[in-house]
Amino acid sequence: MHHGQQMGADSLLSHIRHRRVPVTRLISALVITGLVMSLPALADDTVSGTPKESDQNSCYLDGLSEQLTCGYITVPENATKPDGKQIQIHYAVLPAIKSSGHSEALLAIAGGPGQSAMDNAAFFNRTFSKVRQQRDILLIDQRGTGRSNILNCKGEGFENALAINEADLDTTKETQACLDNLGNSDITQYGSLNALKDFEAVRQHLDYKKLHIYGISYGTRMAQLYMRHYPQVLSTVTIDGVVPMQQNVLAIGQAISRAFDLLLQNCADNALCNNQFPQLRAELEAVDAKLTIAPIVTQVRDPLTGESTQLTMTRAKFMGAIRMALYSSSIRALLPHAIHQAANDNFQPIMGLYALNLDSTGIAMGMHASVVCGEDWQRMTPSEREEINSTYFGQEMIKGFEQSCSVWNMPAVDESFSAPISSDIPTLVLSGQVDPATPPSWGELAMEKLTNAKHFVAPYATHGVAAQSCGNDLIAQLVETGGVSDLDGECLNKDVRRNFYLNASTVEAIPVNNSKQAVEQGDSHD
Amino acid sequence: MINSNIITMVRKELIDAARDKRSVMAGLYYAIGTPLLMCAMFMLLIGQMTSPEDLNIKIENGNNAPDLVKYLSSKGITDGDNHNTNDQGEQLDIKDIRLVISDDYAAQMAKGMSAEVTLISDNSNEKLQNSIRRLERNLQTYSAEMGSLRLIARGIDPRVVQPLKVNVEDEATPDSKGGVILGVATMTMIYAVFISGMNLAIDTSAGERERNSLALLLSHPVSTRNIVLAKVIAVTVFAMIGLLLTLIISKISYAFVPWHELGFTVSISTEFILLMLLVGLPIALMAASLQLFVSFMAKSFKEAQSYLTLVLIVPMMLSMAASYNIAPDTLQWLPVSGQQQALIAFIKGREIPMLQLLLSSLTTLIIAIGLTLGMEKSLKSEKIVFGL
Repeated sequence: MHHGQQMGADSLLSHIRHRRVPVTRLISALVITGLVMSLPALADDTVSGTPKESDQNSCYLDGLSEQLTCGYITVPENATKPDGKQIQIHYAVLPAIKSSGHSEALLAIAGGPGQSAMDNAAFFNRTFSKVRQQRDILLIDQRGTGRSNILNCKGEGFENALAINEADLDTTKETQACLDNLGNSDITQYGSLNALKDFEAVRQHLDYKKLHIYGISYGTRMAQLYMRHYPQVLSTVTIDGVVPMQQNVLAIGQAISRAFDLLLQNCADNALCNNQFPQLRAELEAVDAKLTIAPIVTQVRDPLTGESTQLTMTRAKFMGAIRMALYSSSIRALLPHAIHQAANDNFQPIMGLYALNLDSTGIAMGMHASVVCGEDWQRMTPSEREEINSTYFGQEMIKGFEQSCSVWNMPAVDESFSAPISSDIPTLVLSGQVDPATPPSWGELAMEKLTNAKHFVAPYATHGVAAQSCGNDLIAQLVETGGVSDLDGECLNKDVRRNFYLNASTVEAIPVNNSKQAVEQGDSHD
Repeated sequence: MINSNIITMVRKELIDAARDKRSVMAGLYYAIGTPLLMCAMFMLLIGQMTSPEDLNIKIENGNNAPDLVKYLSSKGITDGDNHNTNDQGEQLDIKDIRLVISDDYAAQMAKGMSAEVTLISDNSNEKLQNSIRRLERNLQTYSAEMGSLRLIARGIDPRVVQPLKVNVEDEATPDSKGGVILGVATMTMIYAVFISGMNLAIDTSAGERERNSLALLLSHPVSTRNIVLAKVIAVTVFAMIGLLLTLIISKISYAFVPWHELGFTVSISTEFILLMLLVGLPIALMAASLQLFVSFMAKSFKEAQSYLTLVLIVPMMLSMAASYNIAPDTLQWLPVSGQQQALIAFIKGREIPMLQLLLSSLTTLIIAIGLTLGMEKSLKSEKIVFGL
């Protein structure tokens, strides 16, 4: 079941997002969904096939028909115990089209935390097609993800996710069960800093003299750590959807609320949308208030199988579905309609959106917990905690991590971890104005001590600017010229938004006499 | 077999040939010109094959489907009628493709039905093929996205309309993808062997006879066989120099073609050059003896030229057939095409068909020896020597 789901999810995503919007984006969204919808996300079980054994050097990755180079290095799980457990760090190289030497590569770092870079090879290949003409693209499955000793958690209650009431689930128990399952792995060794050493070891193994780095979402943290610890091997850096070192990722609740507001605002500013859904904000608040009191239980058809099943529409499902839809500009376009329908007690669109994210997480929840519990949970100050608690998503997150981090018991990272990155490496900082995870202000924060950096805010982009508008061209230009001075973010202003759906079928203005006609036609059919 | 006699005579032939600017230049023109022409051609082709960054077409009724127009624009496909000049004020290249959005587009969409758009273009215009495909592809993705979201809005998982997930595993390597191009290029290389020695072959046979020096040569105390061998070797040397030159020029010039824009690379490796020279030697011997034989048969210099032009078509056809994979099973055993298929296999990183290569090379050599012997015999006839 899980294998099929994973594959299905990939094809679905590429289908909907017309092979453009990153799976990455969606998945990095789950950084926190893991916490908001704590169990469904914990229930993830990704495919973790190793590269084909028959040939260590050539392999195929999902969504790419061409032969790639795959391999792995073996490192001790715990560097202080070199003779202890050994783990394999897998990597894949998308070779440069023009074979002009082999001294540079672009290392693309996936989000999450907990996402596999190799599983998203097709996305990175598409985004960096220009860069790849001259340079290799290097993808590494970070330790604990993908093929590199994945720390996965299986959860109960996944099969009937529609029917379940998340409030009934016991996160502590689930987390403990997950930990017990990972018994032979030392989960404390899966933080970002250890992973960084793996990355550097892979670079040395492959003998790249210099790296260009691209990090998305959580990957921006890895990119910044690379800047801090191995600046001498970096040519350029791009951080896209930035989590600055100073920023506690748990504060994402504010970013989500901001994205909700922007959605409502965008609809209000759009004549068609405003005309069709004049009460959108009130409707959203009404549904939210209603679900806060009690979930709504109905009989529905399963979105996938079509079988009759029970839907328990909870506040977590409702808010979670909207939140996840905000990650993709095309799915976002459906939200006003979905909210309006929910306000009229039709939860079909919301259920459709919710089903999208049921099993497409691709997040290794064990590794996710190791990173967040060690690097964010413990550094949360009382005032931060209070601030985070002021939003719905923040409360859910604190509740979820309170339970899972107490089980996970990660040692806290050193205080210096949170220091801003001070560097003169040419750095491109990208933020999406309507990003529901990492707002432009976080990109600004990352700039604090970067002396050779440019920050562009793409006005219409959500999370992950590289695949939206001309972000990828800017990166190709940065890699080619090796400097940020000539970069011009003007092209990001191209309006790539989709029109909002005005009913369940159209994004174009509904002709005035249309509804009348439809009724007449319906009559004649009877 | 090769005695000082022959060496002296080969030297004589070569000095003669070098003195004849026309035959030297003919070889050079081809060896230098062809790779450069090929490069120029490919550069033009690549320019045509890769769809331009911004594709300008004519969109009619665009105001019926603003979202679709905006979507296409985000993919670099824009309505050229709205702004016929770009930011720099240059005239835009508007492709002759029309996209007509139906009048009831919005109404159909609103009802959840299929809304019609019509793509009008001249599909036989090859320059437009890529642009048309790009437009079609984007219309399909847009349609698929709309369809998926319509399903979601009805609470249905869009995966239900994707029952198959097709995985494609392409075993081609970057080198073998470029092999298609190099296959065509090998044809021109093999042809260099035939072209480079041709003028010398005519000059040293029919030409020599016309200048009445052939009878003089034959009257010297050297065997006819040695004379023939010397001529064959001289022409072969010329052919091989032509081939080597072609290879070197190709190696340098191909590096300047932006192959990567097509998604692969074409590079001429030293190994390929060595193999080509080795494989080319028997072909050069055959070409030399064939050209000399035919020239001797002709009554005059001019006649020789016309005959040879016809004769050259044969290896050309064989070589082309091999490049375009027509009847490859038979061709791999024949001279020229057999060797060429082996070369293509090498370029594509496949195993070289050794048996076929050896056999076709052997046939090539046998033909060369046969022609040489024939020439030796014919030079004993006064009819040939005096061109009667």
